[in-house]
Amino acid sequence: MNESTAGPGRSSSQSATADEVRDGERPAAVRTEDLWKVFEHDDIRVEAVRGVTFRIDSGEFVVLAGPSGSGKTTLLNLIGGLTRPTDGQVWVDGREIGSLPDRDLAEIRLERVGFVFQAYNLLPVLTALENAEFTLLLRGVPAAERRSRVEKLFERIGIAGLEDRLPGKLSGGQQQRVAVARAVVGRPALVLADEPTANLDTATSASLIDLMAELNRELGTTFVFATHDPLLMERARRNVRLVDGSIVADERRD
Amino acid sequence: MRSSLGLRMRLAVRNLVRQRRRTLLSGAAMVVGMALLVFSRALAEGGHEDWIDAGVRLGSGHVSVQAPEYRRQRTIEHRLSSADRQVVEAALAEPGVARRLVAEAPRLTVQGLASSASSALPVGVTGVNPTAEQGFSLLPERLEAGRYLEPEDRLHAYVGARLAERLDLEPGDRFVLTAQDASGEIVGQMARVVGTFRTGIPEADEALVQIPLRTAQEWLGVPGAVTSIDLLLESSRAVRPVLASLETALGEGSGSVVALDWREAQPELDAAVRMDDWADYVFHAILFGIAALAIINTILMSVMQRTREFGVLRALGLRRAEVGRLVFAEGMLLTIVSGLAGMILGLAVVWLFFRDGLDFSSLMNEEMTAAGVVIDPVIVPRFHPTQIAQSLFFILSIGILASIYPAWRATRIDVAEAMKFSE
Ligand SMILES: Nc1ncnc2c1ncn2[C@@H]1O[C@H](COP(=O)(O)OP(=O)(O)OP(=O)(O)O)[C@@H](O)[C@H]1O
Ligand SMILES: [Mg+2]
Repeated sequence: MNESTAGPGRSSSQSATADEVRDGERPAAVRTEDLWKVFEHDDIRVEAVRGVTFRIDSGEFVVLAGPSGSGKTTLLNLIGGLTRPTDGQVWVDGREIGSLPDRDLAEIRLERVGFVFQAYNLLPVLTALENAEFTLLLRGVPAAERRSRVEKLFERIGIAGLEDRLPGKLSGGQQQRVAVARAVVGRPALVLADEPTANLDTATSASLIDLMAELNRELGTTFVFATHDPLLMERARRNVRLVDGSIVADERRD
Repeated sequence: MRSSLGLRMRLAVRNLVRQRRRTLLSGAAMVVGMALLVFSRALAEGGHEDWIDAGVRLGSGHVSVQAPEYRRQRTIEHRLSSADRQVVEAALAEPGVARRLVAEAPRLTVQGLASSASSALPVGVTGVNPTAEQGFSLLPERLEAGRYLEPEDRLHAYVGARLAERLDLEPGDRFVLTAQDASGEIVGQMARVVGTFRTGIPEADEALVQIPLRTAQEWLGVPGAVTSIDLLLESSRAVRPVLASLETALGEGSGSVVALDWREAQPELDAAVRMDDWADYVFHAILFGIAALAIINTILMSVMQRTREFGVLRALGLRRAEVGRLVFAEGMLLTIVSGLAGMILGLAVVWLFFRDGLDFSSLMNEEMTAAGVVIDPVIVPRFHPTQIAQSLFFILSIGILASIYPAWRATRIDVAEAMKFSE
C-alpha cells in the first residue's frame, strides 16, 4: 500500500494553539483545516477525504453520517491519529497531530482519545475489568485507584459483576459497554466510535446509545460517531453529512 | 510506566495459554529438539572421549613430553637425557599437573628392522617400562598369545600378531632387531618373543614391537634416555590446563623439552575427531533449524491472526515498538519454557536409561576401526557443564532469532487497515 502522507505542518500550524484559545467561547475538541486523505494504489487514486474544514466543540455528541464509502471512517481515523493526512491539518484538544511523530501520536491517543470500534474491541486474554483499566495501567495509575474507578463505572453502566469475565463470555452488548467504559474511564478529550452499534440488535443498540448520551451529559465527554444507524443519528445533537469525502450538510439541533 | 515488563509477561503468558494447542505443538517441537540435542551432545561427548581415550592409549597419551625436534624427525638424536627427565619429573609433580595425571609412560622409540630366519620387515621398536604400560597402554590387554612384558624381562619382546605371523615367529622364538644407535652405527639386538597382541589396527599389528626400556637404552647406547614421556590424563578436557601448567613449570627459556597435546602428536587422530565434530555440528544445526522454525511458525501465525488485536493496542496508545516487544516477549517465553523443559527431559532420559552406555554393537557387524583406533560399540554418554551452557545459549539464540521477525511484522501493522471491519 502506498499512502501519501503529509510533509511538515504548514506555517499556519505554529500559531494554531493560540488561535484555539481565542476561537469561540467553548474550546475545540477537534478542529480540521482543509483536511485531505488520498489513497493511491498503483494507478488507482481514491480521495477519501477532500478538504474537510470543521470543528467539534468540547462536550458535543456528533454523528458523521453519509453513504458507504463517503469517508466517515477515514475522517474518524484522521482525527484519532490512526491515519496521517495527505494534506491539511487536524488539531485534537488544541494540538496539531497531523505531523506528529509516531510516538507522540501514541501518547495523544493514550491521554486524550478513547476509541470504540464496531466489534472485537477487547483484548481476548484480559478480563472485562483488565480491559477497561488497560489505558489507566499504561498511564501508571495505581492499581487500587484503577480498580475503584472501573468498578464505579461498571456499576454506572450496568455491567457490575462482570469484572472477571473474559470477553468471549460476554454478549455483544456487554462487550460494547466494556469498550465504552474503557474509552471514557481515562476522561479523554474525545471518544471516537466507528459504527459502535452495527453489530447489536435494536434494543441493545438503543440502551448503548442511551448510555453514551448520559455519559456525554454527566461527564462532559465529547463523542464523535461514524454511523449508518438511524437510532444514533436521531439522538445526536449534531449531524455532519459526508458525501464523497466532503461535508455537504452540518445540522445542529437541541 | 507505559507497558511494563510485568504487563508484557502477563499478556504473553495468557496469549500462549489461550492458543494452547499451537503453543503445545511448537513447545513440543522445542522440547524434542532440546532433548535430542542434550542427548546427542552427551553421546557425542562420550563417544568422542572413548575415541580419544582409545587413540591416546594406543598412541602417545593425551600429552607427550619430547625434545623439540622429535616431532619433525623421529630419531634418537632428538631424545630426552636423564637430566631432562629430572626436569620433567619435577614439572609433573606440580599440583596443576599431578592432580589430573592418571599414568605416565617413559618410552624410547626408534624405527628399525625385525629379522627372523624367514624374512625381515620394517618395524617401530619401543622401549617401555612394563609396569608403567600396564596402567596406560591398551596393548597389554590385547594379548593374543604368551604374556605381556614383566619388570624382570631383559631380552624379551612383545610383538604384533600379524608381524609375528609374517616373520613366522611364535612365543619363545628368537629374532633380531636392527636400528641406528646414538652414534649413527647400525646395531643389532637379539630378542625372544614373549607374547603377541592383536588390536585390529593394521599399523600396530603389522609393525610394532615392545621391548624393555633398559634393554633398548643399552642396545642404542643412550643410558637413561627416552624419546618421550607420555601422559595419560583424566579426560581430554584436562589437556589444556595441564599443558598450561607444564609450560610454566618446564620454563620457556630452556627449550630442551616441549609438551605436545594429542592433536599435535597424533595428527591422524586429530583429523578424524575433527571430522566427527563436523558431523555433530551439522546434526545440531539441523536440530536448531527445526526448533527455530517451529517457534517462528507459532509466533508468526499468531501475529497474523491477531492483527486486529494489535490494531486495538495501537489505538489504545501503545507504540509500534511496544507492540513489537509484546510479541517478542511471547516468543521468548515460549522458547525458554519449552527449551528448559526439553533440556531437563534430555538430561533425565540420558540419566535414567543410558547411564551405563548405549550398545551400538548390533549396528557394527565387524570390529570397526578409524584413525588407528578400534571403536568401542558401547558409548557411555558424558556430561560436562559446558553442555548446559551450550544448551542455554542455544535456547536463547533460537528464542531471539525466532521472535525478532514476528515482532518486526507486528510493528509494521497499519492500524487503520487492521481495524477495518470485514467479517
Ligand atoms: N486503505 C485504503 N486504501 C484505499 N482506499 C481506501 C482505504 N481506506 C478507505 N479507502 C477508500 O476511501 C473511501 C472512504 O472509505 P471509508 O472507509 O472512510 O468510508 P465509510 O464512509 O467509512 O464507509 P462505510 O460506511 O462503508 O464504513 C472509500 O472509497 C474506500 O474504498
Ligand atoms: Mg466506515
